[in-house]
Amino acid sequence: MNTLTKKEPQASTETAPRRAIVPRYNVEESADAFTITAFVPGVDRTALETHVDGENLTVFARRTWTPPAGWIAVYRETPNADYRLVLEIDHRVNREAIKAELTQGVLKLTLPKAEAVKPRRIEIKG
Amino acid sequence: MKLIRYQTSPLFSPASSYPGLRDEMDRLFDVAFPALSSLQRDGFFGDWQGEFPVDLYQDKDAFTVRAELPGFRKEDISAEVADGILTITGHQKTEAKSPAKDKATGTATQERRVSRSISLPENLELEKIQAAYENGVLAVTLPKREEVKPKQIAIEVK
Repeated sequence: MNTLTKKEPQASTETAPRRAIVPRYNVEESADAFTITAFVPGVDRTALETHVDGENLTVFARRTWTPPAGWIAVYRETPNADYRLVLEIDHRVNREAIKAELTQGVLKLTLPKAEAVKPRRIEIKG
Repeated sequence: MKLIRYQTSPLFSPASSYPGLRDEMDRLFDVAFPALSSLQRDGFFGDWQGEFPVDLYQDKDAFTVRAELPGFRKEDISAEVADGILTITGHQKTEAKSPAKDKATGTATQERRVSRSISLPENLELEKIQAAYENGVLAVTLPKREEVKPKQIAIEVK
């Protein structure tokens, strides 16, 4: 897809205690919106930040669960990392109307298209 | 008399068992769902190859398995223990957005099935196993059995 291109994560100025990985994600386009679906297991609703800065849509999701004291990890397959996804959006996205929804580790972002780019049927008279 | 070499649970010792365990799980999975690896399906969920990452923790009272299974409903996940093996399965049928998309089956539903099996150590209280699903992570708590306290035996020295 041309308009939603992945951007390499840039060195952040904020203090990041943990590394962040790009979550597994998917972008779909329909006539009136783009839909981004991302797998962010282990993330609580409160630990999710989504913001638009100029052309960048940034999703930062922090893993909220930490092993309680006394727990020893004996076998690990999941990375000890948060999630960060930066996507470039263009004029076709209505920035004011972006919606985020998080259900059981799946983040769904709906980016409605701006009215100007929605397909419009033109009636032919006469 | 039988001498049993002291060892921590062979399954859970990370260094020695990691590749073996992984292979074993993969093999188990291939045997159980041979069609999945070659099956090419449309969609985000459909192309998930049936594997999900698992973490194992232990403290003095219990082992905990944490499996990342995002996007399921609670009722679509099952965890069962049989013959010392814990099997976690997620099975979900979702309505495909367009019926034409799922050409393979010709139906309007999209199916997602993932499964993973883990063999368990022996000293567990199987009746007290608990599972909880939160934020796309299934946590299965496997309490350890009360260990038999070492007995003191008086040996008469002649």
